[in-house]
Amino acid sequence: MSKRIDRRNFIRGCARYTLGFGLAGLVGFTLKDTTTGEWVWQIDPFKCTSCGRCATHCVLNPSAVKCVHAYPLCGYCDLCGGYLKPGHISRDTAAENMLCPTAAIERKFIEEPYYEYKIIEDLCIGCAKCVEGCSAFGNGSLHLQIRHNLCVNCNECAIARVCPSDAISRVPASEPYKIKGGFEPGSQDVAES
Amino acid sequence: MNRTIQIVLILAILAIAAVVLYDSLSTRIDKRPDNPYQFSVEEFKPVDESLLSHREVRQIEVDNPVAFTWQNGKLFLLSGNSLQVITPEGRELLNKRIDFNPRSVLVDKHGQIIISYENYLVALDSEGNELYRSEMLDENSLLTSLAISGETLFVADAGKRQVWILNMELETIESFRGESGVSDVHGFILPSLHFHLAVNEEDELWITNSGMHRIQNYSLTGRLRRDWGEPSFSIEGFSGCCNPYYFAFLSDGRFVTSEKGIIRVKIYRESGELESVVAPAAMFPNGEKAPAIAVDENDHIWLLDFDKKMLRLFRPV
Repeated sequence: MSKRIDRRNFIRGCARYTLGFGLAGLVGFTLKDTTTGEWVWQIDPFKCTSCGRCATHCVLNPSAVKCVHAYPLCGYCDLCGGYLKPGHISRDTAAENMLCPTAAIERKFIEEPYYEYKIIEDLCIGCAKCVEGCSAFGNGSLHLQIRHNLCVNCNECAIARVCPSDAISRVPASEPYKIKGGFEPGSQDVAES
Repeated sequence: MNRTIQIVLILAILAIAAVVLYDSLSTRIDKRPDNPYQFSVEEFKPVDESLLSHREVRQIEVDNPVAFTWQNGKLFLLSGNSLQVITPEGRELLNKRIDFNPRSVLVDKHGQIIISYENYLVALDSEGNELYRSEMLDENSLLTSLAISGETLFVADAGKRQVWILNMELETIESFRGESGVSDVHGFILPSLHFHLAVNEEDELWITNSGMHRIQNYSLTGRLRRDWGEPSFSIEGFSGCCNPYYFAFLSDGRFVTSEKGIIRVKIYRESGELESVVAPAAMFPNGEKAPAIAVDENDHIWLLDFDKKMLRLFRPV
């Protein structure tokens, strides 16, 4: 003899299962978050198009995005496309020859004809002007990264929202940087932003 | 009361919709403000029309080009793992499978084809059959350019920053690094992983020293004899960190050069004085790579445009 289930009990049962699965999902989601660690925002330098929005759209002023230098890739050029303005008068450290609007790159003579270029982070505003110059004429050793000692890790990164090349995404906090030469494009697991 | 709640709810929905719409529209690509930090070299791209000496007369599409050369009325083209021989009209004469990742190709006057890879070389006959294979020159080698003088093969090694000298059986004879011990001659400076050399009709060996923005003439034993070239964004000089990228010779010894950054192809006299412009930057819109160059028997200039994946023929105006 089959037992009939009335409507009230059916709805009750459904609500119980829904609540149960919901709670289980919530616990699972929370556990996932605690076991996989935190996520932070970072720029993929191979996607970056040097659009300048890192300087203008970060909630911080100056931006938490800074130029970093992959020294193993650098050619230590005398005529550096990231340091010297196109049409510069002479290849020296005079302000009128510098490409950087805030003079955030230091040029240091190593030995003829090699020069080292160092980023002064306090002055860098993340405008990517040097990045574009270095990419167009050099090896692309200058590139942008979000500095995590400055970044406030917004829930929704204001720069990521306007990045034209979707170069900014969340990466595991255990591997917070994507320095050129230190990772292969696409090799790092990236969370959906 | 119910009506008041309804009005409030409708107003709230409208307000939310307006905010979402404004946000969506204001972040559209065409609505975003211009980059106040725009890097621009546009002012260096226009060229005085009186300097233009050539016009483009033909384009041939090619797949994944790596390098090419011209010899005996034919184009020899390398891609990922194939050697193609094509006529100037684009008709394929030979398509031979070769080792993966070739870097450069050269054909001598007898039809022997020499292909360089990262650190070794292979010689083929005119049908693409293997004749010789060199040993690995060095584990850090990157062999990017080839030239022949008589029975001597010169190989530019961008990895080791030196030039290898081999015989035509691909046996190493010696190498040189362009250093002399004199303080102002400090060898080859290569900020980019490309190193180019060529031999002209007078059997003179010329080599790019791209970090110095110069093209240098060496004796066949590796002694620097003379050089020319100046760094400059203006049309007279070589721009960027590492130009000229490629060069070739016209039959009378003039140089045809190509540059990356501001992509442009120019002709220089033997003295190093700019003579004319073959292809200004306007002919490479959105281009990134310097085109490789070959010159045919009629002094017509072939460019291998890596961005457009195209062979482009230029003839004098």
